[in-house]
Amino acid sequence: MKKILITFLIMFTFSTPAFAKINIVATLPWIGSLASDIGKDKVAVKVLVKPSQDPHQIEAKPSMILAAKNADILIYNGLDLEIGYLPLLIESSRNTKIQPGQVGNLDCSQFINVIEKHEAVDRSMGDVHPLGNPHYHLSAQNILGVVRGITQALCSLDPEQASFYKTNLATFEAKLKEKRKQWARVSLKGKRFIAYHRFFEYLAQEFGFQIVGYVEEKPGIPPSAGYIEKLVETMRRSKPDGIITTTYYGKEEIDSLSQKTGVKSIVIPHDVGSALDINDWFSLMDTVLKSLQ
Amino acid sequence: MKQGIMLLIILCLLALSGYALAESEIESRIRALEETLKKQEETIKSQQIMINELKEQIKKDEVAIIPENKEQPTETKKETKATGLFGGSALSNPNISLVLNTYAYSSNLTTDELKNRGIFGYTTEGISRRNGFNLDAAELAFFAPVDPYFNLYATIPVTEDGAEVEEAYFVTTSLPEGHQIKAGKFKSGFGRLNSQHSHVWDFVDNPLPYRAFISSDDSGIDEKGLQYTYLAPLPFYTILGVEILQGENKTLFGSDAAGGAHAYTAFAKASLDVSDNATILFGPSVITGKTKTDTVAANTDFTGDTTLYGLELTYKWKPTKYHGFKLQSEYLYRTQCGNLTDLNPGGTVQRLDRNQDGLYIQGVYLWNRWEFGARYDALGLFKDDYILAGVKQDQGRRPWRMTGMADYTFSEFSLLRLQYNHDESDVTGKPNDELFLQFIFTIGAHPAHQF
Repeated sequence: MKKILITFLIMFTFSTPAFAKINIVATLPWIGSLASDIGKDKVAVKVLVKPSQDPHQIEAKPSMILAAKNADILIYNGLDLEIGYLPLLIESSRNTKIQPGQVGNLDCSQFINVIEKHEAVDRSMGDVHPLGNPHYHLSAQNILGVVRGITQALCSLDPEQASFYKTNLATFEAKLKEKRKQWARVSLKGKRFIAYHRFFEYLAQEFGFQIVGYVEEKPGIPPSAGYIEKLVETMRRSKPDGIITTTYYGKEEIDSLSQKTGVKSIVIPHDVGSALDINDWFSLMDTVLKSLQ
Repeated sequence: MKQGIMLLIILCLLALSGYALAESEIESRIRALEETLKKQEETIKSQQIMINELKEQIKKDEVAIIPENKEQPTETKKETKATGLFGGSALSNPNISLVLNTYAYSSNLTTDELKNRGIFGYTTEGISRRNGFNLDAAELAFFAPVDPYFNLYATIPVTEDGAEVEEAYFVTTSLPEGHQIKAGKFKSGFGRLNSQHSHVWDFVDNPLPYRAFISSDDSGIDEKGLQYTYLAPLPFYTILGVEILQGENKTLFGSDAAGGAHAYTAFAKASLDVSDNATILFGPSVITGKTKTDTVAANTDFTGDTTLYGLELTYKWKPTKYHGFKLQSEYLYRTQCGNLTDLNPGGTVQRLDRNQDGLYIQGVYLWNRWEFGARYDALGLFKDDYILAGVKQDQGRRPWRMTGMADYTFSEFSLLRLQYNHDESDVTGKPNDELFLQFIFTIGAHPAHQF
């Protein structure tokens, strides 16, 4: 009995060793991937949402609470995307470091230019996000802001490694510069797509294509038969370049639309890890752009 | 004459030369002007080239590393933007939500029969539902951080009888790692269903063991008191908790069992992710306190001590938003000893020992926006001792019930549920066949997706 007690005591005392890595908890896979790109071997990254999951519909699982408890920093998307579980998670974590207002509570949306802010909304309009469109990660400009923000936060959390993080940021930015040159050759200008959810607005803005309609009648509300009928009619007339959705939902719906209208359906991997070869944000963007062409 | 001509020629020459002189001056000025213009043009051109180059540069350099001093604006930006974490609301307003829980009910029994339908040997408390339309409550909930140290929650169900404070408590947010204190009036951490609000349950009503041991309605152990919980630094989720409660729960303790706080609980809950999509949560709970109640048997008063033990298990498998399965079960065991006073004329005081148990097990299958569920609950499964003055009494039939349920979720904020119960908990064997059609709506602040 005594031995067990001592073992437990040792476990408790050494659960946070002095030279530990910075524990990062990221809500979404792409956030975790950016944090790894900057922190590399100096950080341990835990991602809460799986790439196969709908980021809108996450439950505060006990294992997530445990992860949040051990976090030095919690990095999240913001704009109400995590409203269903993150406030609960932060409170239940009993972790002072990640409470709102602390360095360890990092809302990435503060580093981007938010579009589609709504002044007056109610839920008859569906699951709208009044603070703006929260799906902003498919944009090089936004990612640049976010990755700088993450670097800044890591530097203030772990000043000893600041130059390491800054070097990694420079590497990231150099790669981004290269990639942007490549992506500039991708011509999506003037293309018109139908999207399942308001997921591609920032991408459309950056690459000059248009989202001319949505399969969801209202955000977060599956479409009614009548609405689909109307949509099919408009699509037959206007002949858009494709119907796009993310990997976690809407596939059946867009496939049936595609059959009815002859417009091709495109499933876009929405996050890092949603397809086997997508192991960081760059390969995510590569794949996204390739699938839109 | 010659002289005159010469003079004229000289004059002419002079004039011409003067003209020529003037002309050359103007020309040179014009030339100078032209040159200046040319120079200016060139400057403009070169400036334009520079501007163009700069533009190109800016375009190219959007990716370049920002100098130190440029990091400043991002920081100021940070403070002015709402985080969206708590709904981004103005400070003057807490988050407010209203949950309407209403249902239509039909039973083969009359409303009076329902009111008198206790569970023999367990409780005399009946069912307070009425045939026809019922309003469970319009439940107001408020929550917001108080300051960097506390969060505050209040739940105020408004019923036809008026408003009551179901919960009003604060939770600490800045105690050292792992520790947390909750105080005020709150739902005890005892058990699974007990710590949840009835509108997040998978079924309309509470199962038989809850009715027999915890509360005849859906209120549960909802007490004034203080709770301390500790999230243990273990590799898997383990939470340990203790509570000191006033102990006024009607079924468990009676509303005036003791002069002060007399109920104590302890509980532990552990959780493991068995796979990427599956999680289990399990743990034991115990609550103990003094009891003074008139619900043991008709025309009696009971004074004594009660201890209730609980074991809970929840398994959830949810690979996608629209597909999943939940299995939930709780086992409750109650020991009670004290004096039972017969209130009839010439009645006696006898020692009563009750050791009884109960169990429910329920499964819910999620398919698209539908959920289909089944539940079985029973009392006296392994233990059913009702010992009056040392003599074990005959309890008759074992109370049990079967339930089937289907619900449809329009959106995260609205739900329609149909439920059928076949209840065999009556000692005379008269079943209670119940049908519910329930509506639950939420408006206001976004509800938390608790596990």
